[in-house]
Amino acid sequence: MNSIGESVLARCKAQGAEDAELYISRGTEFTVRVYKGAIESLVSAESRGIGLRTFRDHRVGFSYTSDFEPAALDGLVDEALLNGRYNHADDANVLPDPRPFEALGGLASPALAGVDPQKKIDFALEMERRATSLDARVRRVSDAMYSDGSGRVEIYNSRGLEASFDRTVAYGVLETIAEQDSEMQSGFAFTHGRDMDELDLAGVVKEAVENAAGLLGARPVPTASVPVVLHPHAAAMILGVLGSSFSADAVIKRRSLLAGKVGEQVAAEIVTITDDPRLPEGLASRPFDGEGVPAERNELIGAGVLKGYLHNTYTAKRTNSQSTGSAVRSYKSVPEVGVSNLVLKPGTLSREALLARVSNGLHVSQLSGLNTVNPVSGEFSLGLTGHWIENGRLTRPVKELTVAGNVIALLKKVTAVADDLRFMFAGGFCGSPTVLIEELPVGGL
Amino acid sequence: MPLLEQSLVDSVIKRALRSGADFVELFVERKRNQSISVEESKVQRVNSGNDLGAGLRIIHQGTVSYVYTEDLSEDGLLKTADLAAQIGRRGGGRFAFAELSGAPRPPQRIDVPPDTVGPEAKIELLLEADQAARAVSGAVKQVAVGYGQSAQEVLVATSEGIHHSDSRTRVRLMVHAVAERNGEIQTAMEAPGMQRGFEFFDDTSAAEYARAAAERAVALLDAAPSPAGQMAVIIGNEFGGVLFHEACGHGLEADFVGKGSTVFTGKIGQAVASPIVTAIDDGTMPSRWGTLTVDDEGVPTRRNVLIQDGVLVSYMYDRLRAGQQNHPVTGNGRRQSYQHLPIPRMTNTFIAAGAHTVEDIIAATPRGLYARKLGAGQVDVTTGDFVFAVTEGYLIEGGRIGRPVRGATIVGNGPRALHKVDMVANDLKLAPGTCGKEGQGVPVSVGQPTIRISELTVGGTGVVPAGAMRQ
Repeated sequence: MNSIGESVLARCKAQGAEDAELYISRGTEFTVRVYKGAIESLVSAESRGIGLRTFRDHRVGFSYTSDFEPAALDGLVDEALLNGRYNHADDANVLPDPRPFEALGGLASPALAGVDPQKKIDFALEMERRATSLDARVRRVSDAMYSDGSGRVEIYNSRGLEASFDRTVAYGVLETIAEQDSEMQSGFAFTHGRDMDELDLAGVVKEAVENAAGLLGARPVPTASVPVVLHPHAAAMILGVLGSSFSADAVIKRRSLLAGKVGEQVAAEIVTITDDPRLPEGLASRPFDGEGVPAERNELIGAGVLKGYLHNTYTAKRTNSQSTGSAVRSYKSVPEVGVSNLVLKPGTLSREALLARVSNGLHVSQLSGLNTVNPVSGEFSLGLTGHWIENGRLTRPVKELTVAGNVIALLKKVTAVADDLRFMFAGGFCGSPTVLIEELPVGGL
Repeated sequence: MPLLEQSLVDSVIKRALRSGADFVELFVERKRNQSISVEESKVQRVNSGNDLGAGLRIIHQGTVSYVYTEDLSEDGLLKTADLAAQIGRRGGGRFAFAELSGAPRPPQRIDVPPDTVGPEAKIELLLEADQAARAVSGAVKQVAVGYGQSAQEVLVATSEGIHHSDSRTRVRLMVHAVAERNGEIQTAMEAPGMQRGFEFFDDTSAAEYARAAAERAVALLDAAPSPAGQMAVIIGNEFGGVLFHEACGHGLEADFVGKGSTVFTGKIGQAVASPIVTAIDDGTMPSRWGTLTVDDEGVPTRRNVLIQDGVLVSYMYDRLRAGQQNHPVTGNGRRQSYQHLPIPRMTNTFIAAGAHTVEDIIAATPRGLYARKLGAGQVDVTTGDFVFAVTEGYLIEGGRIGRPVRGATIVGNGPRALHKVDMVANDLKLAPGTCGKEGQGVPVSVGQPTIRISELTVGGTGVVPAGAMRQ
C-alpha cells in the first residue's frame, strides 16, 4: 500500500471509522486538435484525485479531494466521517470482503508514453488532409482531434484490499462538412485503440466523409409502415439507453423499465445482451469494479429472456444477491451501479445478407433525441436520418422522419442481427451489429 | 486567503514566457461542492468534495498549448510552466488575441454562504419536500429529492498584467417524482437554482416545487398519447428557452462560426428570425445561474444582443476567436474547470418578452400542441435540426387548452423555426441548466416568454389527426 493509503486509513480508524475505503485515480492526457493544416490547440496534463468512503454504525460518509497536501488529507477524513453522521443507517452499507481477481492483460500499452508527440500531431493533420481530398463535396473539417490518455486506479480498504490496474486509450475523432448548393451535412467518425498504432486512419477518414456526403440531398418521405434496419451505431445508442435499466439500484428505486421482469421474455429470441467488463477490445474493460470486486461477464438477456440485474455491494446486500462487480465511479463519487461493455450478441448473417431481406424499407444511420427516451416507461419518439432501402440496397438519403414507440416493444420486434459488431460510447461502451426490425410506423410528410 | 500568492503567480508566468511565447495565462480554481440526497424518504447521501487546480495556457505563434495540474506547490507549478513552454514551441501561425477591456463589477451578493449552514437545515428541507410530494396522491410511488451547493473561486492572471478574480456560489434543489397506476409509469421533475446563498430558500419553497413535480407526474397518468404530424406549437416560457439555446444559440458561438460549421455563418445584418424575435445573452443579470463577474478568461461579462427584431447582430466570442475574427470581446470565454481550455459559451440566454399574453396566444390557436414544459433534447449544430421531448403538453382545440398528452416530441430545424415564430408573450422567465459542449459542462440560464411557432412536426404514438397528413 502506498503511504497516502496507509496514513488515510490509519486516521479513519483513529477517528472512529469501523471501515474505510480509498479510491485513488491518476491519469495523463494528451490531446491535439488541428484546423486547416495547423495545430489549433494542444493539451498535456497529469491529474489525480482521492475519494474516501467511511463506515460507522452502518452509516456511509463520503468526501473527495484533488489536493494531496497532508492537511487536505486530514480534512478529507474528518469531512467524510462528519457527512456520514447525517446519513441513514442501513445494514446493506458494507464493504466487500477482498476476493482475488484475475489480472486482465492488454488493457495498457506501455509504449504509448514513449510515442513522440509530433507523431500524434501528424496523425491529426493527416486525418484532416485526407478527409478534405477524398470527395469534391467535402472540403472542410469542423473537428480533427487525436487524443490519448493513461489512467491508474488504486483501491485500498480496511478489510485488507489492495488492488490496482492501469489502462491506456488512444483515439482519433473526425467531423467533416459536406456541401452541395446551399445544403450542409456533417459526418462524424472515430477510431480507437489502446495505442496510437491501433488506430485506423484510412477507415475513420472514409467513414466521416461518407457519412457527411451520403446525406447530401436527403429529403423527407411520406409516412409509411416499413421494416427498419439499424446501423450498428444507431443500435448501440439504443442499447446505451437500455443500459441504466439493468441497474439493480434503478430497479429498487422504481426507475427501471425492466423492474419485476426477471424470467420474462422481454425481447425477441434472437436477442442476447451481455455486460462484459473482461472483453479484450472493450474500452470500459477492467479486472475489478469501483469497490474492488472482481469483474465478470454477466448475461443480462439470454435468448430474449431477462436473466437478472447488475449489482454493486449495496444493492446485492439489500436484495440478498451477489455483487456482479458492477460498481462504477470516479474519485468524485460513491460507487453507483452501471454497465461496462454492453454488447448485443452478433449473429452469423452478413450485413449484406441482412439488407437483402428488405425489399422496401428504411436504413437508419442516425437517431436523434435518444436522451428524450423515458427510462422508466421506455416510451420514445425519435428523429431518424438514413437511407431508403430498395431491393436490399441503400438508395436515396432521407431525413426528418420520426418513429415513436416503446423500447421493450422494439426489442421484441428484432427479426435478425448481422455479424458486424461495432462499438461506440453511449453511456457505457456499447457494441451492436446491424439489426433488422420488423415493420414500424415511420412518420414523415 | 488568496488562491495563490501574487509573487508565485508572477514567477510562474515569467517562467512560461521564457519559451518566447506571445501570451501566457494562469487560471487557478478552488471549488467546494456539497450534495445531499433523500430517496425512499431517507437520507441516502451527504457528499462533499474539494477541487483545487491550475491551468496554464500559452500561445506561441498562434498555437494554443494548455497544461493543467492539481499540484499547486511552487515546484509543481514551475514544472507545469516548463512543460507548457516546451509543448508550446510548435507554432507557425499569427498571434491573434482580442484585447481584454472593461472593469469587473463587484461580485454576486451572497447573504448566507451555504457552507455556514449545517446539513441539518438542508436535510429538513429535503424531507419536507419528500413528504409534500408523497402527500399529493397515493399514485406517487417514488420521490427523489436532492440539494446541491458549490462555491467556486477563480483567479485569472495573464502576461499582460491582468489579474482578475471571481467567486461564484450556487445552490440548487432537485425533485424527481414517479407516479404509477395500473402498470402505467410517469415521471416529472423540478430543479430550481440560483447564484445565491442559503437565503435562496427564504423565498423558494422546496415543498411547493416538490408538489408541482408530483402533481405533474400524476396528471400524466391520465394523459393520452400525443398525436403526430404538422401543427402549430406553443412553447411554454422558462425552460422552453432550451429550444433556442440548443437549436440557435450554439450556432451563434464564434468557434463554430469561425469554422463555417453553422448556418448562421456570415449572416450578420441579415434577417435570421421573424421580426418579433429579439434574443439576448446577458452574463450580468444578478444572481442568475449563468452570471459571471468576469468570464473564465478574466473578461468582464456584458449584455450582448444576438438578434434584434429578427436581424442577426452579434455572435458570442472568447478572446481567441474575437482576435481571429477581429471583433471586440463579449465575455463568453468559459471553461468547466482548470482541466479545460476556455471556449465560447453562452451565459444567460433568452428570447425577449413580446406584446401578447399567453391567453391571447392560446385563444388565437384553433388547433395545435401546447408544449408547456420541454425536457431533454438533441441538436445538430451544423444543420440546426433538433428533437425535443415535451414533458408537459396539452392539445389546443378551438382556442382552448384541451386534454393533456404524453410522449410528444417536437422535431424541426432551429433557423427555420425562428422564422415561423408568429406570437411572443410577455411572460419572460429564466431557468437554470447545465450546458454541455466538447465534454465541458457549464452552468447557464435558458429562458423565453411563451411563444408560438406556426408549424412544427410533432412526433407521438397517438393517431395522426385528420388533415395533418399530406401524401
